[in-house]
Amino acid sequence: MLVTVLIRILETLFVAGTIGSCLVLVLSGIEDLETLFGFGHKQGSAENKEQTPAS
Amino acid sequence: MSSPLPMTPSDRVRIVVATSVMLTFISYWRAAAIVLNDLASSAFYAAGIAEQAIGKSAPWFIVAVMLFSFTVRAVYVESCSMFVRGGVYRVVKEALGGTLAKISVSALMFDYMLTGPISGVSAGQYIAGLINDILATAYTHGWLPQAVHTPGVTPHVDVNLTSVVFAVVVTIYFWWQNVKGIHESSEKALRVMQITTVMVVILLAWSAVTVFHQGYQAVPWPTPANLHFTPESLGFLKNFPNLPKMFGILGILMAFGHSVLAMSGEETLAQVNRELAHPKLINLKRAAVIIAIYSFVFTGITALLSVMMIPDSVRVPVYKDNLIAGLAMYLWAPQLVRLLFRAFVVLVGFLILSGAVNTAIIGSNGVLNRVSEDGVLTDWFRFPHRRYGTSYRIINMVVALQLFTILASRGNVYVLGEAYAFGVIWSFTFNSLAMLVLRVKYKGERGWKVPPNLRIGGHEIPVGLASVFLVLLSTAIVNLFTKSVATVAGVTFAAVFFGIFTVSERVNRKKIALAQAGMKEHFQLLQRDTVNREPLGIRPGNVLVPVRDYNTLNHLKWVLERTDTQEQDVVVMTARISQFGAAAYDLSLEQIFSDYEQLLFTRAVSIAESFGKHVSLLVVPARDVWAAIAQTANNLEASAVVSGTSSKMTAQEQAFEMGRAWEAMPNPKRQFLLQIVHVDGKVDTFHIGPHSPSMKTEDIHLVHRLWLHITREQGLDKLHHNDILTEALTRFARDYAGRERDDILKDLRKITKQPLKTRPIGGDGNRTSLSPPEEIGPARPKKTEGGPPSPPVVGPE
Repeated sequence: MLVTVLIRILETLFVAGTIGSCLVLVLSGIEDLETLFGFGHKQGSAENKEQTPAS
Repeated sequence: MSSPLPMTPSDRVRIVVATSVMLTFISYWRAAAIVLNDLASSAFYAAGIAEQAIGKSAPWFIVAVMLFSFTVRAVYVESCSMFVRGGVYRVVKEALGGTLAKISVSALMFDYMLTGPISGVSAGQYIAGLINDILATAYTHGWLPQAVHTPGVTPHVDVNLTSVVFAVVVTIYFWWQNVKGIHESSEKALRVMQITTVMVVILLAWSAVTVFHQGYQAVPWPTPANLHFTPESLGFLKNFPNLPKMFGILGILMAFGHSVLAMSGEETLAQVNRELAHPKLINLKRAAVIIAIYSFVFTGITALLSVMMIPDSVRVPVYKDNLIAGLAMYLWAPQLVRLLFRAFVVLVGFLILSGAVNTAIIGSNGVLNRVSEDGVLTDWFRFPHRRYGTSYRIINMVVALQLFTILASRGNVYVLGEAYAFGVIWSFTFNSLAMLVLRVKYKGERGWKVPPNLRIGGHEIPVGLASVFLVLLSTAIVNLFTKSVATVAGVTFAAVFFGIFTVSERVNRKKIALAQAGMKEHFQLLQRDTVNREPLGIRPGNVLVPVRDYNTLNHLKWVLERTDTQEQDVVVMTARISQFGAAAYDLSLEQIFSDYEQLLFTRAVSIAESFGKHVSLLVVPARDVWAAIAQTANNLEASAVVSGTSSKMTAQEQAFEMGRAWEAMPNPKRQFLLQIVHVDGKVDTFHIGPHSPSMKTEDIHLVHRLWLHITREQGLDKLHHNDILTEALTRFARDYAGRERDDILKDLRKITKQPLKTRPIGGDGNRTSLSPPEEIGPARPKKTEGGPPSPPVVGPE
């Protein structure tokens, strides 16, 4: 029973991670295309524009 | 180091420490080539290993891993975009604490420790496979004389034994190269990748033609029903063979874990980041996307093609360890042509896999050096080689462990691959965990973040980064159970290294505290991003004295004997060298000015004090010592650089290297004199950069006679002597660039009576056209001094 629960938790982590990673793949892929071919180039996505000053 | 009377700040010796590394920056193409030398090498063995573990649907998992590698690459881009110094240990320690940092570095070391053996053995497998196929073809056609083989038996070599021998020879070769500290260039990596690209393009195009003409077999879809785990690939779960099918996703996860090896080498991206040209972040992202697309096409597509084209009867039994060679043998062409292309594949495999052996030694050496500088390994490991100045003890230890691994594997690529995957997945997992924690802890500059990031109630949720971490963590945990050999070997290795790190750190703690107190007492460190005269308080026309070994400072004494420091400043400089691709992060102040530099400068200062003269002290981090000296001399407006003799090269070769470094510098640049002081007091002097040549009396007379004649011509009465020289040189340049080149060279050789191999300072020796004339300069020493003292510094003629 415990083993089953642990395996299911592991599977859930993997599935959740895979779904999120697909998002990373798509979003960073769009940025990559912009970077590589230079069209409409920007420094980063919306949240990436925010930069904290050097400490 | 203690003093009876505490020194005041003004008594302390001031040392300027430049923190920006003096690098010859590289383009993103070159950076991509360096990473691909490591990453693409896994294409030669990853698919074969995965298919042995999970069956015929393995190529889909390789493709999935290559797609996932795009996201891991994004984590590395974020890691590189953070402005941090101090090496991987310090950065992970900042995020996760000392214990996890030591475990993380141990996993990284395990990764490096296996990169060399698996690459060497895999290259051996390709070579041995080719030898056997050539022997079999020759035997079938009756080309082999009967005396050289047993009748009725196809001659062959033992594949695993040959692989072991090859891997040992290659490892020993690169061990010696690293002990000698041979300079590694990005040029070599670029050439290897160009040849590899030619092979990949031919292979893919030819495979497409073959599939069109001969058809193909389908690759089974990556469903739990199509996964066939062997007892070996179930590891500790071998008593529960139905587990993967009972829990469908678990089976997929296990198969993914067996294929993760395909993205090994991704970590090299972080190591080339420092050397990327401006704009760094954009170039890093460009390099990263090129790497990801290239490795996806090469590793992913060739894995699919191998199952589509190579029959099941031979794919695993014959070609499991040299799958790309097998692919070459099933292309649509006559056998001899296929064999020739296979030889090309083996050549490319040899180049790229041998390069990975070297990268592994450089990487391990770099990581252990940083760990040692952080006080986690004792200084004993970093003690420089007496002759070559390299950290030979670390190199010896790394190579000894690699040789042990090669011998213990007995040439079995599968076992090596399983173990290697342990290091790869855990090192990625720790890195992504550290990045996740640093999202909260690190408040410094960060150029880019892995998307998407949600903002809820003023808090940022790093969804993308957390997702990548979850995939890596779940894969790493499953691998602990399915890769029994890797788990036992990896945990043992990590435990041993963790123990060494912990004990060393305790031993070092007191010593480091004492050394730091001593340093604070005697030296005042001034941190500067770049090198210039202002912080050193020196005048133009100074003398730069590069030092490395505190036992060989004769050239410093020679300078101090002859220089009035009231009139001319003397700067003692040491370059803190880190090898190409050896570290992911810039060095911190304490790492640049470590205990070795402290000892070296203590000696230099005591020599200066014995002469009653003042010297300025400077430390610069650099990758190439010649580039560092040339750039420093230029920035400080030095009139001369006075160096000792090298144990590795002659004075002429030293001058050539300096000339080359000078030529590589961007404008504006100043010329200076290079004086090399031999142990016996003899001094060779060279001009670095363009300079007026000294003219023979008869040449001056010839110019004057020509001037007298020409000025008698109509309209040329206002001609100057230098106009004649300009016209003569222009004509000479035109003839040299044209048909007269050989005749000119013949005449010049007669004049100089020099052998063919003589190289000009600052020239490449193979120039066919005359671009800027100042690129050509004399190779021979200008003057050789001995006996009576003379001023060390002479202005340009």
